[in-house]
Amino acid sequence: MMFCGTEDPFGQLGTAVLAVLPLSFLCTGRAWGAEKPLARHANLSLSFFSSSVSHSQITRLYSRFTSLDKGENGTLSREDFQRIPELAINPLGDRIINAFFPEGEDQVNFRGFMRTLAHFRPIEDNEKSKDQNGPEPLNSRSNKLHFAFRLYDLDKDDKISRDELLQVLRMMVGVNISDEQLGSIADRTIQEADQDGDSAISFAEFVKVLEKVDVEQKMSIRFLH
Amino acid sequence: GLGTVRGAEEGSEARSAAGSRRRPGPARHGALDYPHVQIPFEITLWILLASLAKIGFHLYHKLPSIVPESCLLILVGLLLGGIIFGAEEKSPPVMNSDVFFLYLLPPIVLDAGYFMPTRLFFENFGTIFWYAVVGTLWNAIGIGISLYGICQISAFGLTDITLLQNLLFGSLISAVDPVAVLAVFENIHVNEQLYILVFGESLLNDAITVVLYNLFKSFCQMRTIKVIDIFAGIANFFIVGIGGVLIGILLGFVAAFTTRFTHKIRVIEPLFVFLYSYLSYITAEMFHLSGIMAITSCAMTMNKYVEENVSQKSYTTIKYFMKMLSSVSETLIFIFMGVSTVGKNHEWNWAFVSFTLLFCLIWRALGVFVLTQIINVFRTIPLTFKDQFIIAYGGLRGAICFSLVFLLPPAVFPRKKLFITAVIVVIFFTVFIQGITIRPLVEFLDVKRSNKKQPAVSEEIYNRFFDHVKTGIEDVCGHWGHNFWRDKFKKFDNKYLRRLLIRENQPKSSIVSLYKKLEIKHAIEMAESGMISKVPSSVSLSDYHEGKIKPLSPTEMENMREILTKNLYQIRHRTMSYNRHSLAADASEKQAKEILIRRRHSLRESLRKTNSLSRERPAAANTKRFLSLPKNTKLPEKLRVRNKTSSRVGDSSDSDLDAATTVLNLRPRAGKILREQRLRQQRPLPEFRVEWKNEVDGSQDGRGEQQDPSTLPQPSIGFRQPLLTRPRFGTLSREDLTADHGSARPMPPPRLVRQASQGDRQRNKPENQPY
Repeated sequence: MMFCGTEDPFGQLGTAVLAVLPLSFLCTGRAWGAEKPLARHANLSLSFFSSSVSHSQITRLYSRFTSLDKGENGTLSREDFQRIPELAINPLGDRIINAFFPEGEDQVNFRGFMRTLAHFRPIEDNEKSKDQNGPEPLNSRSNKLHFAFRLYDLDKDDKISRDELLQVLRMMVGVNISDEQLGSIADRTIQEADQDGDSAISFAEFVKVLEKVDVEQKMSIRFLH
Repeated sequence: GLGTVRGAEEGSEARSAAGSRRRPGPARHGALDYPHVQIPFEITLWILLASLAKIGFHLYHKLPSIVPESCLLILVGLLLGGIIFGAEEKSPPVMNSDVFFLYLLPPIVLDAGYFMPTRLFFENFGTIFWYAVVGTLWNAIGIGISLYGICQISAFGLTDITLLQNLLFGSLISAVDPVAVLAVFENIHVNEQLYILVFGESLLNDAITVVLYNLFKSFCQMRTIKVIDIFAGIANFFIVGIGGVLIGILLGFVAAFTTRFTHKIRVIEPLFVFLYSYLSYITAEMFHLSGIMAITSCAMTMNKYVEENVSQKSYTTIKYFMKMLSSVSETLIFIFMGVSTVGKNHEWNWAFVSFTLLFCLIWRALGVFVLTQIINVFRTIPLTFKDQFIIAYGGLRGAICFSLVFLLPPAVFPRKKLFITAVIVVIFFTVFIQGITIRPLVEFLDVKRSNKKQPAVSEEIYNRFFDHVKTGIEDVCGHWGHNFWRDKFKKFDNKYLRRLLIRENQPKSSIVSLYKKLEIKHAIEMAESGMISKVPSSVSLSDYHEGKIKPLSPTEMENMREILTKNLYQIRHRTMSYNRHSLAADASEKQAKEILIRRRHSLRESLRKTNSLSRERPAAANTKRFLSLPKNTKLPEKLRVRNKTSSRVGDSSDSDLDAATTVLNLRPRAGKILREQRLRQQRPLPEFRVEWKNEVDGSQDGRGEQQDPSTLPQPSIGFRQPLLTRPRFGTLSREDLTADHGSARPMPPPRLVRQASQGDRQRNKPENQPY
């Protein structure tokens, strides 16, 4: 970068600046400040998810996983989740934590962690036409709804009973609502959804009630892109 | 006004020339001695007026949400300026650049820097830096060059403005102003990240602006420009920026260190915070470094350590005083801007002014767009179009460019008045038009598909449900993970800095213990009064008759909907509470408290339930052991519970209470409380037996009561797995029992328990060592 003459110093300054910029294009994949975490385990083979989640996201979430894992044994327990302060003041915190743990287990490894999170990937338009024959991706609308349904349905009988609904309502609502009021709200909710008259919400009814709600957007997290 | 002042001055001079002695005789009480008090009087009047204006705005509660306060204040200033101008036929006092830079600007920047979320800031530091440096350069050079192009067109009569002057003008008008940005962003709710980006950019670009401004100004005054000067200019930028930051950090550490020793004189603790930060600002200005960066870095450094050293009252004082100062400053700045606008300082040129405005907007939008495309490659969370729009549209100009333009030396800038006019027009446009319209535009961009049909009662529930779930999962994902440098810094911090700068072993101040007592009492009360419904057992539901749902009338539905809207918990607000008017978010505090208490209660309930369950089931091998104890059976629970406390208090309760109090802004207090608790509980190992005996004797003193709530944050008992967690308890107590009280106990039969996973036991082991 030899400058000759002083006739046009600013042009040269401009040239210098412009020359630097293309160099930065070549540095793709570099960690820039804190936006991309350093991948400690470069050879994460999660081919199971390779079609669902991008590699950079996997590394980032792995960093998060390890930072949550205080015991450093490669799995998370419920206490690890409860250590997240924002989750502590989330009304549905316990249910959400529970959703990460498969049936009857107390620890979740990274695969399980990612599996749950994969439900929240945004639905891409170009994915819709991609793979009609393969298994339904975890972040399909139906699977998202299923995930939400499981948060209600504790006893796993594929029905949200009035009791279960009441539990969730109670968690989401302040102390100023009496039990009777809450009961009537729960009744009303069931009534609006129930079609086969069993006073419980089955999964199909759940889906039907929410057909106008933009579930794809509500249950998608942008940075799981 | 100024006229009368001058007259009085002359009069008083004559008087004082006569020997500075009052004329003998009765003192003239009715006479005005204005010049004696002129300066403080005027200052007080200005500030009073500003504050009264603020009160006036908030009387009509809708007004501040539509029109940002900055606009209203400028209007008031314009009014005042008009009055003064009309009364005296001369220009009102122009805001002194010195006054602005030395007195009015530092409090605002200090306030912003002190409450800046450091983590988020450093997360996005690369992007902020990118926008601030490259963006400002882009804007400055772009505006300057295009304006030069316009000036070349002889039809506009601007040909005497040289390229350098245009570049200088470009550099000072491209400065995005933190004051204006803050004032406007108060209204709109953007996500944290966006807020940090725009605000961080406005803070950082001060360094660039200062360098460019001085660079071009000196170039304008130089005959020839050598290449070396350009490089010197670039190097200057780094020196200015980094130097300012270093000064700030240094003084921040000194401030933290000082507060370590102030426990005897609590009253002047807040003073140190303000003095040191102001010192950093003027020291940096003295060396021609960037004062804004100095004060920001000083505030961010001080924040962490000072909070832990000062008393609760001092902490509150600091916060309130800072808010007050910054509020006053901001108000004064805007009013002065309004006042200074009126007058004879202007020269209007349609072409120059309108093209300036146009280029400002175009270059900003272009700059943001292009830069975002580049930086998105490196970001894991790419910026969407909406984000870019807000960044571009939120680049407001304010008092900084205003003051900078007044600082231009008129000798070098014969067309200074033209510049002033252009700057004022741009500022007014950005503050008024962009400030008022940004909110509706943001909302417009947000609306995806509005289905405004008849909303069902349940819809609100479902929507809120989804929002909570999404927020929860987002929190699990976190916005950050490990970062090499941050971890290194944390280690360094813990090892050296904290030890040096934070005072340990502070005696519990009365406030702290009072808080602790109240918190615990409140928790117990809420739990006991049954306001929180227990997990409904199947028994209570047996009296629900099926098929009795009757259709509701519309009014009843409305009622329900209203009840829900009022009572459903809000989602955790992610936006900053950068409110000039209030400090804490009290509604969400209350909500957070309720949720926490309820969760603790339900956890405690389920713990109790599992205990009672397992006690009734002799099949579980563990219970046999406990039942076989000759002494009272309540003991193992206490034993186990206390062990759980001590082994777990480091983890969950720390974070749990920490969480609550993080939200409640009392984190350092809670940390201290928990540390003390832990210390207290970990200490008495040899006394363990003694304590135990005390417990056995049934003396339920405050000790037991106090510890009980502290056991509330239990590790979560899964809804379906009470048995699995029990072996852990069993392991602990068995080891303890056999360790401490070998003889009288029958040795427990070897038991087959489902082993907790290997990692789990390994994790327990080291924690068990002290016992």
